[in-house]
Amino acid sequence: MTRTHCPYCSLQCGMTLVSTSSTTGAGSTTGAGSTTGVGSTTGAGSTTTRRAAGLEVQPWAEFPVNEGGLCRKGWTATELRGHRERLTTPMVRDRATGEIRAAGWDEALDLVAGRIKELRTASGPDSIAVFGGGGLTNEKAYQLGKLARVALGTSQIDYNGRWCMASAASAGNQAFGIDRGLPFPLADVEQADVVVLVGSNLAETMPPAARHFDRLRGRGGKLVVIDPRLTTTAQRADLFLQPVPGTDLALALGALHLVDAAGAVDEEYVATRTHGWDDVRRSVASWWPERVERVTGVATSELRALVDLLTSSRKVVILTARGAEQHSQGTATVLGWINVALALGLPGTPYAGYGCLTGQGNGQGGREHGQKADQLPGYRMIDDPAAREHVARVWGVAPETLPGRGRSAYELLESLGDGGGPRALLVFGSNIVVSAPNAHRITRRLESLDLLVVCDLVMSETAALADVVLPVTQWAEETGTLTNLEGRVVLRQKAAEPPKGVRSDLEVIAGLAERLVSTPSTGSGTDGPTFSTDPEEVFAELGRASAGGKADYSAISYDRIREEQGVFWGSPRMFTESFATPDGRARFVVAEHTGPAESTDEAFPVHLTTGRVLAQYQSGAQTRRIRSLPDDGPFVELHPMLADRIGVRDGEPVVVRTRRGELTAPAKVVTTIRPDTVFVPFHWVGANRLTNDALDPSSRMPEFKVCAASLGLATSSPSGSDYSTTDRAAGLTA
Amino acid sequence: MAATRLVEELVARVSAGSTTQEWAITVLGDERRPPYNRILLSAVLEGTHRPESLTLRDEQWYADHGIDLRLGARVLEIEPRLRDVMLVDGTTVEYDALVLATGSIPTLPPIRGLVRMDGTLHEAVHAFRSLSDCQGLLAAIGGLDTASPRGSAYSTTEGRRAVVVGGGLLGLQVARALGVRGIATEVVEGADHLLHRQLGSAAGRVLARDLERLGVAVYTGARAVRLTDNALRLDTGVTLETDLVVLTAGGRPSTALARRAGLEVRRGIVVDDRLTSVSDPAVHAIGDCAEHDGRVTGFVPPAWEQASVLAGVLTDEPVKYDGSRVVARLRATDLDVAVLGDPEAEVRDGGEVVEMSNPVRGSHRRLVVRDGRIVAGALVGDLNRIGLITQHYDRQTLLGPTEPGELLMTERARETVRLPDEAEICNCAGVTAGAVRACASFADAREKTRATTGCGGCASTVRQLVAEQSRLTPEGVK
Repeated sequence: MTRTHCPYCSLQCGMTLVSTSSTTGAGSTTGAGSTTGVGSTTGAGSTTTRRAAGLEVQPWAEFPVNEGGLCRKGWTATELRGHRERLTTPMVRDRATGEIRAAGWDEALDLVAGRIKELRTASGPDSIAVFGGGGLTNEKAYQLGKLARVALGTSQIDYNGRWCMASAASAGNQAFGIDRGLPFPLADVEQADVVVLVGSNLAETMPPAARHFDRLRGRGGKLVVIDPRLTTTAQRADLFLQPVPGTDLALALGALHLVDAAGAVDEEYVATRTHGWDDVRRSVASWWPERVERVTGVATSELRALVDLLTSSRKVVILTARGAEQHSQGTATVLGWINVALALGLPGTPYAGYGCLTGQGNGQGGREHGQKADQLPGYRMIDDPAAREHVARVWGVAPETLPGRGRSAYELLESLGDGGGPRALLVFGSNIVVSAPNAHRITRRLESLDLLVVCDLVMSETAALADVVLPVTQWAEETGTLTNLEGRVVLRQKAAEPPKGVRSDLEVIAGLAERLVSTPSTGSGTDGPTFSTDPEEVFAELGRASAGGKADYSAISYDRIREEQGVFWGSPRMFTESFATPDGRARFVVAEHTGPAESTDEAFPVHLTTGRVLAQYQSGAQTRRIRSLPDDGPFVELHPMLADRIGVRDGEPVVVRTRRGELTAPAKVVTTIRPDTVFVPFHWVGANRLTNDALDPSSRMPEFKVCAASLGLATSSPSGSDYSTTDRAAGLTA
Repeated sequence: MAATRLVEELVARVSAGSTTQEWAITVLGDERRPPYNRILLSAVLEGTHRPESLTLRDEQWYADHGIDLRLGARVLEIEPRLRDVMLVDGTTVEYDALVLATGSIPTLPPIRGLVRMDGTLHEAVHAFRSLSDCQGLLAAIGGLDTASPRGSAYSTTEGRRAVVVGGGLLGLQVARALGVRGIATEVVEGADHLLHRQLGSAAGRVLARDLERLGVAVYTGARAVRLTDNALRLDTGVTLETDLVVLTAGGRPSTALARRAGLEVRRGIVVDDRLTSVSDPAVHAIGDCAEHDGRVTGFVPPAWEQASVLAGVLTDEPVKYDGSRVVARLRATDLDVAVLGDPEAEVRDGGEVVEMSNPVRGSHRRLVVRDGRIVAGALVGDLNRIGLITQHYDRQTLLGPTEPGELLMTERARETVRLPDEAEICNCAGVTAGAVRACASFADAREKTRATTGCGGCASTVRQLVAEQSRLTPEGVK
């Protein structure tokens, strides 16, 4: 029996993995007492059948975030183990023929290291780039940053978290001087009186979180949901506002306008704990409700109802998620809502405040330990001399050898190959082909590389383009820490042996590093860099590297995590006395609404927005391969009025076009979406061929959540079923 | 407000480096306070807005950006040949470019007794254009308790009466605000229905009924002709006893300075697509005082659009102003009116009318459609889908033939139906209604199917389904 956490979202639900000896799974002997690593894959090696899984998910009732509850993805998480598509040997592509063949580990790593050395000699270290992921453990994220800065010597590293909560991070840093998703435990929302969710469909994207909001309502608290779709989350709300995509900021400005107009600003809090209110107050003076209504499509009566709730209690929590953040104005939008929270005097007071609902499994930790282009471990800025000094000492290198700031995720990908930037890319824990915005363009960039190396469990859409694919361990086969949306560091514990031939990411990193690091330079009292493959050792080093930084892990150990059911970095409840700014006060920052980068027009008259469905996670590389999770492929959700306008019926194929690409998928006709908006889930190839790559000036977040689209009937569609099979096949193999 | 926006736009261009010119900006305003949000005055009167929250930019902001803001500065004369303006205090200000944003001035209706022999207004009479007017009126009704705008001062207003002269947008907002303050209020409108510039007579009649339902009496087709000490006499013979008279009977562009300076003025100061006077390239006009393409507006959004375009013109951007789409919204509690564009004119020009009238419920909704696009509309008493209708209007969305009609229908709540066995009721665990029906109890369903253990959203449905089977009430299900 192994206590661990779900492999997917940022809740990091606690779960128990139990080894099963039989193939039936049902009614297994839960009290078998099997321990870590025992009873695993007997038929080791090669691609085996589901029998090899031998693990069953059981509740872990005591873990406070989910209290034993899991969603469908969690319950079925073990099915990927032993999947027939699981990669168990490195693969190398012959550039001349395009053929891909199995290779030994040494051969594959030698080849990668050799090519990197050639490129580095010819074009300098910045010709090599690294792309990480928000699902990687803290240890991997840390080690990846070190690999880039120390072994490759490149500044060119960033990760897909840039597409997740970077806008909230940027806003948090500006307003509070620190970025942590939630500055309080999630269960605190139960004790609030009003919770406002801006752009979160948590009942589908992180279902077990919803229990806390149900308890809030059970206590008589009110839930407000702001979303262009009446989602399953919104259906539980006491108040639902349905703005035009890309106008959440205008809504925040309008809310603050009314808060001020009503005299509900907490003047004492504003005077003693913040700076900058006067400018913000003036900036919202011109956002009266009727103007907000015209911009947002939210009726003045609904805005007033929101403000009545906001001003009804001291215990108000405002939470944003990707719906508000994935915009070219994402940072400003979050700042707009933080301004509301500050004016009401919420942050740092009990059962109140502002928070961001992080998305990816290690969305929080993944951004703290150095896989961001501008940061070193512990949330240190890479251009801060003191930070460089500290980290270089831990790494055993000279500070001046550390490269500077690199490109942000999208800018990095956009610069690859033909783009004039790096010629080689190493990918860990990301499926770029599916998840990058303007994906056609990025896919072409990947294809123009001299060398693409992808570490993955399966032949993802991105791995399918790679020159070298390295098979790595999966969740239940490895140990490491993740930091959930609350800033709680949790321990993923190994429950089974990986298939033979598979290595951990840490082993891959170490294997590359030992081939690339020139012998320890010039002594100078340092031992030179080392790359441990033991997660606990790496975590201890991470602790030293982060010590004294904003996200300081130095006091956390695996033992403490086991004993305390996770350990918060910093205080579980932040800002009670002061903020993390130099003078301890929060900052109001003026946020002006300018709207989405691309507006609708005659040719592209509807708004397109994207998001998740319950049964899938991110690019779907894992969840689409789990048989118990329904995979009906992508769909185009639209309102009956819009469906009538183009003459499509439910289930019939419809084409969505934008300036960047098109997608054909069955129409899902629902009355729950704004009639001027269509929704496409992003787990399959296609959705992100449509999305806009306009970036937020501060967070460099692409505008995933809104662009202008046109709709039409799919012309050559023989029958619905034919169509959907071909489309899905294309989606899975592209 | 137009001037403030223009200054903001210029400042933004300077700080963004998109203009390299050196700017010396002087703002002359005849009021003694910095520019504020005039359109929220009725909200201050009603008590939903604190007067302090109206200020757009304080004096410090102007100073910080090197702008010479002169308050209480009344202009006596513009001298186009010398390119300067002279103030009443005798000082002059030179200019390279002059922007007139003088707004409009209220018209005084021809009521005998309104103006006393010495030229001042009768003490019971209030205009409603400036914050001073608003504060004067608040003082008169004893409602000047700005510390707690809601719910205060109601008792002191008991038994007081007011007549609002003018049944346009402003008049109705003021009437409703006074009503909210507990004052017995009556509206007098010379035309045969309220909001006659925006609405047809049927809609106007519905609106009058809505207003009367809120306790405000309406007299249409009636002109006030004589004010005595405590009553207003109408030309219909009716006499309204009152303590207060508020004049909101419209305004006209303030053009006296421009006229005297020899600029071309018709209803407003005539400007071209670059918002430049057709008679002097150094003079511009924006907002209520300007006439573009034969039209003057009385609303903020067009004034702001003009300010934005003019900022571009002044910084040599190749921009043009080609008119604005106006949505007029009545700002008053429980009185719902939205007017898109000019419905009466669009109907005269051959627009197709899609209309839904329900006088029983007090609503009248009309969309004027041309070539599949909403070109105008008037919604009274029911603003259902207002946020969608205005989006379609602003974006000129090409609609399908059924859409305009559907937009006027009220959305229905969805009905609940018996769930078929194959319907998935727990998305988290992927459980169908049938699977739950096969369970003996709530706990059994939880154990066997894992329904309710994820997000918990299906708990009530599971209780319902288990109850169906066991003939218990959902509350009885454990």
